[in-house]
This record gives sequence, structure tokens and C-alpha cells, in this order.
Amino acid sequence: MSMRTRTAIPTWELVLCVLIVAAGVWSSKLSPYYLSIDQIFESTRHFIIPGLLALGLAMVVSTGEIDISLASIVAVGTVALSKLAAAGFSIYVAAPIVIVIGALCGTLNGVLVARYGLPSLAVTLGTMGAYRGLAFIVGSEVGYTDFDDSFLWIGSEKLFGDIVPISFCVFVTAAIGVWLLMHRTFFGRHCFSIGLNPDASWFAGVEVVKVKIRTYALAGALAGIAALVWVGQYGSARGDNADGSILFVVTAVVLGGMDINGGRGTISGVVLSLLLLGTIRNGMGLANFGGPTQTVVLGVLLVGGVLRPALAATLARLRRHTSDKQAGA
Amino acid sequence: MSGAIGAVGASRQFTKFVLRMRETGVLVFLAILGIAFSLLTSTFFTVQNITAVASSAAILAIAACAQAIVLLTRNLDVSVGSMMGFAAYLTADFAATHPGISPIVLVFIPMGIGLVLGTINGLLVAYGKVQALIATLGTMSLYRGLIYIYAHGQEVTSSRLPHWLLGFIDARISGIPVLVMLAVGIVVVVSLFLQYFPLGRRIYAVGSNPVASFFFGLRSERIVLLAYMLCGLLCGVAGFLYAVRVGTVTVVLASGWEMSSLAAAVIGGVSVAGGSGTVIGAALGAVVLATIDNGLVLLNVSEFWRMFIQGAAIVAAVAADAMIASSIGGAFYARRPR
Repeated sequence: MSMRTRTAIPTWELVLCVLIVAAGVWSSKLSPYYLSIDQIFESTRHFIIPGLLALGLAMVVSTGEIDISLASIVAVGTVALSKLAAAGFSIYVAAPIVIVIGALCGTLNGVLVARYGLPSLAVTLGTMGAYRGLAFIVGSEVGYTDFDDSFLWIGSEKLFGDIVPISFCVFVTAAIGVWLLMHRTFFGRHCFSIGLNPDASWFAGVEVVKVKIRTYALAGALAGIAALVWVGQYGSARGDNADGSILFVVTAVVLGGMDINGGRGTISGVVLSLLLLGTIRNGMGLANFGGPTQTVVLGVLLVGGVLRPALAATLARLRRHTSDKQAGA
Repeated sequence: MSGAIGAVGASRQFTKFVLRMRETGVLVFLAILGIAFSLLTSTFFTVQNITAVASSAAILAIAACAQAIVLLTRNLDVSVGSMMGFAAYLTADFAATHPGISPIVLVFIPMGIGLVLGTINGLLVAYGKVQALIATLGTMSLYRGLIYIYAHGQEVTSSRLPHWLLGFIDARISGIPVLVMLAVGIVVVVSLFLQYFPLGRRIYAVGSNPVASFFFGLRSERIVLLAYMLCGLLCGVAGFLYAVRVGTVTVVLASGWEMSSLAAAVIGGVSVAGGSGTVIGAALGAVVLATIDNGLVLLNVSEFWRMFIQGAAIVAAVAADAMIASSIGGAFYARRPR
């Protein structure tokens, strides 16, 4: 089994790389302005927030669970940040508090799912509504936009000679951190083993409940960081922040080769699929495709991404079938 | 041997008792809500207001019923709102451009559209082996996006709809809105189908124990596909009724209904782990949600509390479900194959 995953996944990552290049070429044909460093870094803005959520979701999915409340946690985070900003806290105090609030929201999901054994989909569907409602109740319908400039640098300023946005650096750091965690530590191995077989992992001494709760808490904390980036990029906080972005997030994770049933997948695949989706979205924006069209394309990609293993299995069966026939003849 | 059969009979009776208790629980909760709102406001317990609650619960009850059928097979449909919107927009658009269309033909259009959309979901889940959430999350955005593209930002206003249609939805027979009667009729028919027809029983069988139903010889793919088709059909009907009730059909019609329908079904005792619950319960769940909605409006509470309460209610209902299941023996949750 391990041999199969080892040979199968890198090829998928290679396919993703090829697709990214193809999407880039397509985009550069659409617009002469595409191939400039500024434009490309500018386009990364679009997938940083869903990207941070996708990294968190990838951890949760590796254990065979799911969390669709992450976008709502972003709204809770932005509203909390607006309240802290209004109360006169500095960003250096407010930011850790927001990240902790995100982690607490995630932990609540994790406790309900892992400790009490409730189905993760139903629980996070419930908390998705509950958290967003909470964000609206706390933040009221009117958004908050009076953020001090010190709250906005994470989304608006650039580093290295005014080229690389800070939010991109945040994403890269988070991606490297999650990659190390999932592929170079016991914690990551435990996550994947739980996804493959929770009972066997439990017998092998893995603390299944604790590990699951930790993945949810980390995903929540990443959503808290995403909330900071949101405020930095848009300068506003309202209960409907990041509403509907969960589709993009789930698509990125699934298209990145994470098995939605848990146990298989790589963080690098998720990052590559984010780059691919970001490039496609940027290209569609340059080609003046409307938002609805983009949503349709995203939906098709999502279903295609999940159908991929089934299609590959069917192809393999057909190939085996024909080779058997040839061997028989 | 007879002892074993007796034990099975007893446990089945016990399960039935618990299930019945679950629906009684919903009714008791509904009564408590009703009493609380009547004490807190003077306007809640009036004939006019109760009729309004029943009318707003009617369409949600049909959508919850649709969601419940899919939940029973241990699947999920989050494209309910998009299917309703899709069927509603296309039908309203057709009715507006063909004013002379006969009522009987017009009723079949949303049903047909719903059936097609439901079939796509069903094929993806049953034969494509795509996880239900992912498949329907994809089709949710797909269907909604297609309406956007088709509509070009236009909306169908009530003045363009046939008059008989708008008259029908407000009609009452001896004080009871036709809409409510229609919803009750649909829920009863679906309930009878699920309880007494072999095909209906198979929907329960596939959801409650896929392995056993496989060895029994059931073709689970076909049954899951059928469940999604029924779900689409009912969503078509619900979307059509909703469009006529609202009057002005926009592209965002019924968005967010996947949440409400799921909340109603789960609050009404339909288990997300499949195989347990009834559509009558789901319809009662819809009445509970409509009552909460109405009461909060009368109490002048912000509409955002509704979102919070709905979400919290889903979590509470799922937790209650798990507690009941573990008190039965934990067979549902502890040993369900993944």
C-alpha cells in the first residue's frame, strides 16, 4: 500500500505542475500584462486567505474528518479584531488574541467530533451557521472599517524591495510549517494513520481523540491568521466576511490529492493545487469571466477532482483487463 | 430459536418506541416554544399568526422531506437550495414568456427540472462514488452559477407571472391555506411510501446497514440514485411553490435553504448516520424552525440570532441523536463502516 501511494502521488503533483504551467501560458495569451512580477504577486492575494484555510482543512481531512466551519471562524476572527481595535488594543496584543479565539472555535469543533464521536460534517455544518451568527450578533450588521494603519500592514505592505506582499510570506511560512508538521513529525504520521485506520492507530497507542482535537485547533488557529490577513487586505470586518469561500477551500484540498476519506495526500499537493486554482482564477479575471462563470468552473473542478481516483481506478482496471486478454492470447 | 426471534421483536419494539419518543420530543419542544411565545407576546397565539407560521413552514417542510430521504440513505444533499432556485427561475421565466400555458403542463416543468438535477447528484454519488458532501457542494455552485449565467442579472417580477398562479397560492379552503394542505399531502404521501412500500423500506435498509443490505441482495447504487431523484423532484416542487409565494424570482432565490432543510430534518430526528427518522419528524422540525423564526420577529430579536440558533440546534440535535443511539447499544455510531 505504501509503495502504491509513494508512486501514485508524485505523478499527480507532476500533473498539477504541468497544469499550472498550462494555465499560466493560457493566461499570458489572454493578457499582455500577465507576465510581470508585480501582477503575479498581486494575484497571490486572491488565494492567501482560502490557502491558509486549505492548509488547516488538509490537516483535518488527513484524519478522515472534515471542517466546513472554517470560513465562519474567519468572520468570528475579523469581528473580534474589530472589537479589540475599537477598544484601543494594539495589533501586537490583538493578533494573538484573535488567533487564540480561532483556535478555541476549532477546539470546540474538535471536542464535539473527537471526544463525543459526533459526525464531523453535521457538527461543522451546525457550527458554520452558529459561528457566522455569532459574528453578526457581536459585530452587528454594520461593518467596522475604522482600522488603524497598524492593523493593515499584514495585508497591504510588501517586503524585499516592495515586491513580495507580506501576506504571501505569511502563507509561505504557514505552508512550510504545516508541511514539516505533517510529513516530518510523529504528529503528522499519527494524523495519516488515524485517517487510514482509527482502530488500528488506537491499538498502536496513538491518542486518537487528542490528535484529532489538535488538528481542529490548528485549523482554527490558521483561520484566525486568515482573519488577520482579511482585515489587512480589505480593511473591513463584518459578519459575512469570507462567506462562501469554503467551496474554494474544499476544492483546493481535494484537487491537491488529499483523500477526503483520510489517510492519503500531501501538503505540497495542496499548495500546488492552490497555485493552480489561483492561476486559473487570475486568468479568468483577466479574460473578464464573470463571478458566476468562475463559480461554475470551480464546481466542475471540485467534482472532477473527486472523480479523479475513481476514473484512474477504472482506467487501471481496463488496462489490466486488456493486458490479461493479451497474456491469455 | 423462538427466544431469539422474541428478542429481535422486543428490540424492534424498543427502537420503535424510541423513534416515537423522538417525535413526541419534538412535539413537546414545539408546545413549550408555543407556550413561551404566547406568554411573551400578545400577538403569537392568534389564528392569523398561526396560519402565517403554518404557511411559512409548509415549503420548508417539503424541502426538509426531500433532505430527509437522502439523509436516510446515509448521504447528504447540500444542493437543495440551488435545485430549488434553478427549478423556480426556469419555471417562472417560462411562465412569463408563455402566458397561455396550461396549469397542468406548468406544474410538471419544475418537477422535471428537479428530477434531472437530482439524477445528476445521484449518479455522481451512487455510481461516481464521490462523497455526498463534495459532489453536492460542487453541484450546488454549478446549478447556482448556471442560473446566474442564464438570467444575466434579470429577475422575473410577479406582474409577469400568470394571475391564476398567484391567486392559487393565497387561496384558502375553509380558512386553511391551500399551500399548507398541499405540503401536508406531500409529506403524508412520502411518509406512506417510505413506511409501507418495499422500495421505501429499502431506502431505510441501505442507510441503516449497507453491508447487511448488500448481502440481502439490494442494489444500493440504484436505491441511492432513487433517493436523490426523489429529493430533486421534491426540491423542484418546493422551489416552484416558493417562487410563486415570494412573487419576485431572483437568481439568489432559496440560497441557504440547504442549511435550513438540513436543520429541520435533523431537529425532527432524522439521523445523519442514516436509516433512522421519519419525514413526518422532518416536517415537524420545519414547523419548529418556522415557530422560532416567527417568535423572534415578534420579540424584535435580531435576525442573526436565527442563524446562531439554527446552527446550535443542529449540533444539539446531532448530540441528542448520538446519545439515543448509544443508549440503544451504540451500534449505529460505534461500528459504522467508514
